[in-house]
Amino acid sequence: MNSPHTPAGHHYSTSSDGGVRHDDGRYTGPDPAEPDRTGGHNLPATMGESRLTPAELQSVTFPRAPLGRRGYDEERVRSFLQYIERELAQIFSERTALADEVARLRERLSGVSSGGVPPEEAHFQAVRILSQAQQTADLYVADAERYTRELAQEARQYREAILSDAKSQAELLLDEAHRRASAVAETAAAAAPPPQHVPSGDPSSLPDDVRRQMEREIAYLRTYSEVYRTHLRSYLESLLRNVDEWERSERDALPTGATEPPRPR
Amino acid sequence: MDAQRLKDSFAHVARQGDAVALFFYSDLFVRNPQLRDMFPIGMSVQREKLLGALGGIVAQVDDLPSLVPFLQQLGRDHRKFGIVAEHYPAVGASLLATLKYFCGTAWNDDLAEDWNAAYTLVSKVMLEAANEDALRSPAWWNAQVIGVERRRFDIAMLRVVPDQPLPYLPGQSVAVETTSRPRHWRYYSMANAPRADHTIDFHVRLVDGGPVSSVLVRSLHVGDRLRLGAPVGTLTLNEDSPRDVLLVAGSTGLAPLKAILEQLARRPSPPRTHLFFGARTHEGLYDLEELSKLAMELRWLTLVPAVSDEPPGTLPGLHRAGTAQAEHGTLPDVVGRRGLWIDHDAYVCGPPVMVARTNERLVQLGVNRDRIRMETFAEAQR
Repeated sequence: MNSPHTPAGHHYSTSSDGGVRHDDGRYTGPDPAEPDRTGGHNLPATMGESRLTPAELQSVTFPRAPLGRRGYDEERVRSFLQYIERELAQIFSERTALADEVARLRERLSGVSSGGVPPEEAHFQAVRILSQAQQTADLYVADAERYTRELAQEARQYREAILSDAKSQAELLLDEAHRRASAVAETAAAAAPPPQHVPSGDPSSLPDDVRRQMEREIAYLRTYSEVYRTHLRSYLESLLRNVDEWERSERDALPTGATEPPRPR
Repeated sequence: MDAQRLKDSFAHVARQGDAVALFFYSDLFVRNPQLRDMFPIGMSVQREKLLGALGGIVAQVDDLPSLVPFLQQLGRDHRKFGIVAEHYPAVGASLLATLKYFCGTAWNDDLAEDWNAAYTLVSKVMLEAANEDALRSPAWWNAQVIGVERRRFDIAMLRVVPDQPLPYLPGQSVAVETTSRPRHWRYYSMANAPRADHTIDFHVRLVDGGPVSSVLVRSLHVGDRLRLGAPVGTLTLNEDSPRDVLLVAGSTGLAPLKAILEQLARRPSPPRTHLFFGARTHEGLYDLEELSKLAMELRWLTLVPAVSDEPPGTLPGLHRAGTAQAEHGTLPDVVGRRGLWIDHDAYVCGPPVMVARTNERLVQLGVNRDRIRMETFAEAQR
């Protein structure tokens, strides 16, 4: 029970034979007339499960021989000796089994270092395995870098396309704005009668053609600045969108950097 | 040590390419798992570097006057990775195991002895240089970002302050590592001559797919921390030369040349200097406004902006960068149009193709090759 490795069936079979020491008739156990086990004798109470211990042996006592005879009860002594004998046989057989086990394990161990794979070969095996793992890692790294590169290049092209689109769009808008502004100003100058309510006296005192010139300028500038502001806003917005796009793709493509600081040494 | 035997055996091994470096690192990490953490996850670039360095070393193994300075630099450079003396024997053991594995039956005791002697020498020179360097400067400088200015959607100007002075020559660069991409080092030039407050400017352009440049341009903030390696680079001003100066900068290749320009400006009588600053579009001339101001202040400086992919003069509506009118054409063409540079010292920096073509054009124009100093960047800034 103590040792799960005990190989011998003997011990258990014998003892589990149903308390040999009780039933085989040679050892009858405590005298029925003397139910007090501790009084008359102290044979191992271990019966069956556990091993006979030195302490138990020391505490063995035998009942006196029946009236008229000298010494101990012969029957009890004999049966005890038989019990001891069985125990010893048990121990020897277990020891043999263990020795066998040790020998077998030793053999297997020495087979590993001599008969099986020699240490040098084992080293090469480890080197090969590590090499393969490294090559796999290199592949992953290369793939990741290529992917990032392609993504970045695409984003760059995309950005350039957006920018050149925005630029030509802006140029068109500006041209259009110029054209319309001058058209509006022309018509305004040609059609508008001199304003009736002029807050300040000064402009009215200007010669007509100068005043018309100024009004045309003002109308032109107003239209121009409005168109330009619109254009500027859309240009900047497209630029921002572009930057956002770029940042997002970059962020997605890159592994979030390890935050671990470099080892000091 | 038989140099020829080393070369022959390495040539044999090197024919097996990437597998050699793959085996080497796997062997190193199986034996010393704690070293794995010093390297990035992806190792393909690392393996190329290793093979390149080994090839270079073996090629020069019988030319110590060339080999030793190279190894010393290699030893100093490795300090920033946290490499210390105890790592050298581990590397040596794995190197020998790798060579043995790939030499197969050709491997013997003599060869092992040769390689062992060679590696012992190499590591001794590297380590001595590293130790000597350690007396003078730290393995790396911790720096804090104090300014981020995005000049374009893919170009940022950074200002950092190192935790202790970082001495360098204008035109040099340093390896930069950001906390968000540990163990990835990329080279950037200081864009200013050393200042009293020790602050340093970098011009960073986002390289598509570049893990580090993307982070630096897109997500770096004031207060973030960087690590800087020791200054390197030979695109520095020839102080002894009395000649006039020609600076040709493509895109963020401007950075080291701007530093040189500042250095010239500190001279009592600066030489006549032309600065060509080129990009594909007007928008790419990200620092034109400041350069124009400089050119107005400094009478000895002539600034020539150039754009190759846009018609001249059309500045985008919202981006009136400076007053100078950009010339149309690629930098080699524009530089070529502008006359004779025979009496000049030329400094060229930018993308590889631009640098190569400008160099060729200058040589065609009669400029002595010895008077052209140049630097390219591409992979170094991903």
